[in-house]
Amino acid sequence: MKPKLLWLQAITCNGNTHSFLNHPDLFSILSHFEIVHHPALDGSYSMEDVIAGSVPCDILILEGSFVEEGFLKGGIEVSKLIKTYANKAKHIISAGTCATFGGIFKQKDPDKISGFCFDLGEKTSRYASYASKLVSLPGCPMHPKWMSYVLMMIANNRVIEIDNLHRPVELYGYTVHTGCTRNEYFEWKIDTKNFGLKEGCLFYEQGCQGPHTRGSCNKILWNDVSSKTRSGTPCFGCTEPTFPQISLYSTKTNMGIPAKMPLGIPRRAYLTLTGVTKSFKIKRFTERLMDYDK
Amino acid sequence: MKIAEKKAIKRESIIQTALQLFSVNGFHKTTIPDIAGKLQMSVGNLYNYFSSKDILAQEIIKYTSETLGKKIRVVNELDVSAEQKIHKIVDIYFTMAKEKPEMIEYFLRVYLSNREVFSGDCQGMVCVSGFITEIMVFFDDAVSSGELRNQDFFSAFGLFMGYLGGMVFLKGEDVLPQGIEFYIDDISRNIYNALKA
Amino acid sequence: MKKLHIKQLIEKIEGEAELDFTFNEGKIEDVKINFGFYRGIEEILQGKDARDALVITPRVCGICNHAHLLAAVRAIENGYENAGQKIELTSKAKEIREFTLACELIQNHIKWLYMTLLPQIESYLDCTSEENYAVKASYLASKITKALAIFAGQWPHSSYAVPGGVTCDPTYVDVMQAQSLVDECITFFEQVVTELPLDTYLNIEYCADLHNIGGDFGKLLQLIGSSGMTEIGKSHDRFIVFGDCILSKSGKSIGTKVTNVNSKYVKETEQVGTVAKAVTYKERLYEVGPLARGMVAKRAIVKNLHKRYKDSLLTRVFARIHEVATLLAYSKNLLSNLNLEEASCTLDLHARLQNFEGTGVVEAARGALIHKTTVKEGRITNYDIITPTQWNLSHGTKGEHGIAIEAMLGSKSIEEATFIFRTFDVCSVCTTQ
Repeated sequence: MKPKLLWLQAITCNGNTHSFLNHPDLFSILSHFEIVHHPALDGSYSMEDVIAGSVPCDILILEGSFVEEGFLKGGIEVSKLIKTYANKAKHIISAGTCATFGGIFKQKDPDKISGFCFDLGEKTSRYASYASKLVSLPGCPMHPKWMSYVLMMIANNRVIEIDNLHRPVELYGYTVHTGCTRNEYFEWKIDTKNFGLKEGCLFYEQGCQGPHTRGSCNKILWNDVSSKTRSGTPCFGCTEPTFPQISLYSTKTNMGIPAKMPLGIPRRAYLTLTGVTKSFKIKRFTERLMDYDK
Repeated sequence: MKIAEKKAIKRESIIQTALQLFSVNGFHKTTIPDIAGKLQMSVGNLYNYFSSKDILAQEIIKYTSETLGKKIRVVNELDVSAEQKIHKIVDIYFTMAKEKPEMIEYFLRVYLSNREVFSGDCQGMVCVSGFITEIMVFFDDAVSSGELRNQDFFSAFGLFMGYLGGMVFLKGEDVLPQGIEFYIDDISRNIYNALKA
Repeated sequence: MKKLHIKQLIEKIEGEAELDFTFNEGKIEDVKINFGFYRGIEEILQGKDARDALVITPRVCGICNHAHLLAAVRAIENGYENAGQKIELTSKAKEIREFTLACELIQNHIKWLYMTLLPQIESYLDCTSEENYAVKASYLASKITKALAIFAGQWPHSSYAVPGGVTCDPTYVDVMQAQSLVDECITFFEQVVTELPLDTYLNIEYCADLHNIGGDFGKLLQLIGSSGMTEIGKSHDRFIVFGDCILSKSGKSIGTKVTNVNSKYVKETEQVGTVAKAVTYKERLYEVGPLARGMVAKRAIVKNLHKRYKDSLLTRVFARIHEVATLLAYSKNLLSNLNLEEASCTLDLHARLQNFEGTGVVEAARGALIHKTTVKEGRITNYDIITPTQWNLSHGTKGEHGIAIEAMLGSKSIEEATFIFRTFDVCSVCTTQ
C-alpha cells in the first residue's frame, strides 16, 4: 500500500508547489505514493472531498503560513482542515519558510499569523501535539530535492535525523556558504566592487547571509545548475526563522565590521583573521578571473 | 619547572632586555651581542630563540601587541558603558607609557620608524593583530549598542590611536608639564565626545 | 422563472476561487468571482528598504515571480529616472532579462496546456485519455527554468535583476549550456506539442492551415473545433498591452483598431464581496494576456482567427500556446547574439537615491503587470501592484460585465462556464496579493 500524500495550502504564493514541480525525477518519486490531493497535479480526490474532511492522509505536506481564523475555503476554516489532517497523518512536512516559521506573510499580521509549529524560532501551542511527526523544510521556496529526500526517506522507512527546529540535518547541516564559487574571495576578505561581477565576495557589503544561513543551496544546486550567490545575488537567509529581514541587499556593519559573524565563528577569531588577510595584497584577486597570464 | 616553561621565561626576558636597550641606546646601535651580554647568555644561545635581529624586532612587536591586547580584552569583557571603557583603555595605555615606557616607545620609535625591518613578514597589520582585534571588538560592541556613531573603521581608529600615540610621543619628548596620568580624564572625554552617537 | 444561484469552488487556478453563478431560464446571467484571503504584500512592503521589493514582490506568485521581479526593478529604475538619475542598461543586461522572462512565460503556458487545459477539456467532453500530461509539463518546465537559472541563479524566486542591470556575469560556458537547453525545448515543441518544425509552425497565417498542427496542440484544437466551442467564450473584444516586449508593443486594440496607451489612466477600485480589486483603463474594461498581445501586435494568425471567430475561446486558447513558439524562436536567436563584453550592471553600488516614485511594467504570462513604488528617505511609503488576473476578472463597471464574466454569460452549464473561465489562465494568488 503506497502512503497517501496530501498537499494542503494555507497562506501561500505557491512557490513551493512550483519548486517541487521542477524536480527532474518528479514522477519516479511520486510513483512511491498515492496523491490524495495536490494543488496542481491530479489526485484521487477533489478539493471538495478534502474540505469535507474525509479523505485519507498518511503524509501531510503543508505549504503556507498558518492563521487560526479568518481564512476559509469552501466555508471551512483552513486551520481546522490542517488540524484534521495533521491528526490523521503519520508524517507532517512543513514545506517552505511560511509553513515552518511564518515567513513573509506573517508580516501582514504578526500576532495572528505564524508557521504551523513554530512562530519565528519559538514553538507554538500546536508544537506539542505534532512534534513527533514533524519535519521542517524551510526555504523560500524550499528546494525540490529537499522534499524528495524527505519523501524517499519516508518511502524507505528510514528515520530522518532532525535538529531542534525539525530540519533534516543532512540538508541543513551545511551553510549556504558551503560550495559558493566566490569562497576564495571570502577567505581573503575581498569585497566585490559592484553587482554583475563574478569576482569578489558578497558578504561584506551586498548583504549576503550565506555564511550564517543554514541550507545546501551551493551543494545541491538550484535547478541542477546554479544558486543565488553563483549568479551574483546575495543570499537573503530565506531558510532562517527571521526571514525576511530588512535592507536585504546591504550588510549591516559596525564601523566596517559585519554585525553578524559567520556561523559558529567567534568574533575575535574572525577579526584576527580579517586583520591578517587584509594586510596582504594578493595580485590574482585584484584581477579579473579570466585575465590571468595565459 | 618544565623545559617549555623555562624557555618561555627566557624568551620573555630576552624581549624585555632588548626593549630596555633599544629604549636607552636606540634600535640601530643595539646589537645582538649587547643583548646577550646583558643577559649573561651566549650569542649562539640567543640565536636559538631568535634567528636574527629583524626576527627579534618582529616578535617584540607581536609581544607588545598581545600584552596590550590582553589588557584591553579584559576591559571589553566588562559590563560597563562605552564611555567608561574608553576611559579604561586610555588608562591602560597611559599607565603602560608611564610604567613600561620602553614598550610604547618601541611601537612609536622602532615599529613606525623602521618599516623596512617589518615590511616582509610583518606586512600591514599582521603583527599587531593582538591589539587591533581588541580595538575592533570595542568598536563593534559600542556601535551595536548604539553608544558610538557608526562610521568608517579607520576614521574612528585614527582618531583614537593617533590621539593616544601623539600624547605618548609628547611625553617621550619631555614636553608635557604634568605626568601623563593627569591627562587621562580629559583625553577620554574628548575621544568619547568625538565618537559618540 | 426564478433565478438560481449556484456556488462552485474552482481549484487548480494557482489557488482557488469561488464562482457564484446566477442562472435565469437555464442560462448564466451573471457570475460573481470571489477570492477568500488577502495576503497584504502591499502593506508588508511599507517601511521596507526600496530594494527589498526585489525580494518580497516575487513572493506574490509562485509561477510568475520572475515577472514581478522585473516589474519591481523597472519601477525603481523608472523612479531613479524621474528623480534625475539616468539609468543606462547595457543591451546585454536588457537581453538577459528578456531571456529569463521568456523562459518563465514558456513554462507557464506549457503548464497551463498540459496541467489545466488538456485534462479539463477531456474531462468536460468525457474523453479522458490515459496520458500523464503532467510528465510533459514537468519535463519542459524543468528544462526551460534550468536555462533561466543559468543566468538568474534559481527559479522560483530569483532576485537577480537590480537597478542598473543584472547580478550575473555569465561566460560562454553558460550561454552554450542555455542554448542547448532551449534547443531541447524546441525539439520537444516540434515533436510533441505540434508535430511540426518550428519554422513551419511560425509561418502559419491562415485558419485553413491550422489542421496541419499535430501533436498535443493539434489534439486540443480538434477537440475545441469538433465540440462547438469555437463560438463560445466571447467577451468585449477589447484588449490592452502595457509592457513592450518581443510579443507586442504597448497599446490597446478595440476590435482590431490599435491605438496608444498611457499607464496613468489605469485605475484600481475596491469590489464588494471579494478581496480582489477591479481595474479599468479610462473607466473601461480590457482583456490582458496572450490574446491581447496577439491583437495589439496584429500577429497574422491571431488576426485571421479573430476575423472568423472573434475573441472566442478558440482564439484565446490558440494565442496563448502560439506565444510558446514565438518565445522559443526569440530565445534561440537572442542567445546566439548575446554580447558578453558589455557590463552586467551600470549603476554604481553605492548610488542609492532616497526619494523617488516610479512605475514598472512587464508583460507577464497572463498579461500586463504593473508595479508602482513611492520611496521616501530610502523606505517604501506606498506600493501598488496590479496583476493581469485583476484585469480579466473584474466584476464590471456600471455599463458592462467583467471580461471573463462576459465570456461565461449565456452558457447553459457550470461545466462549460468553468472551462471558459479556465481559458483565461486565472491566477488566484496574484489576485489576492
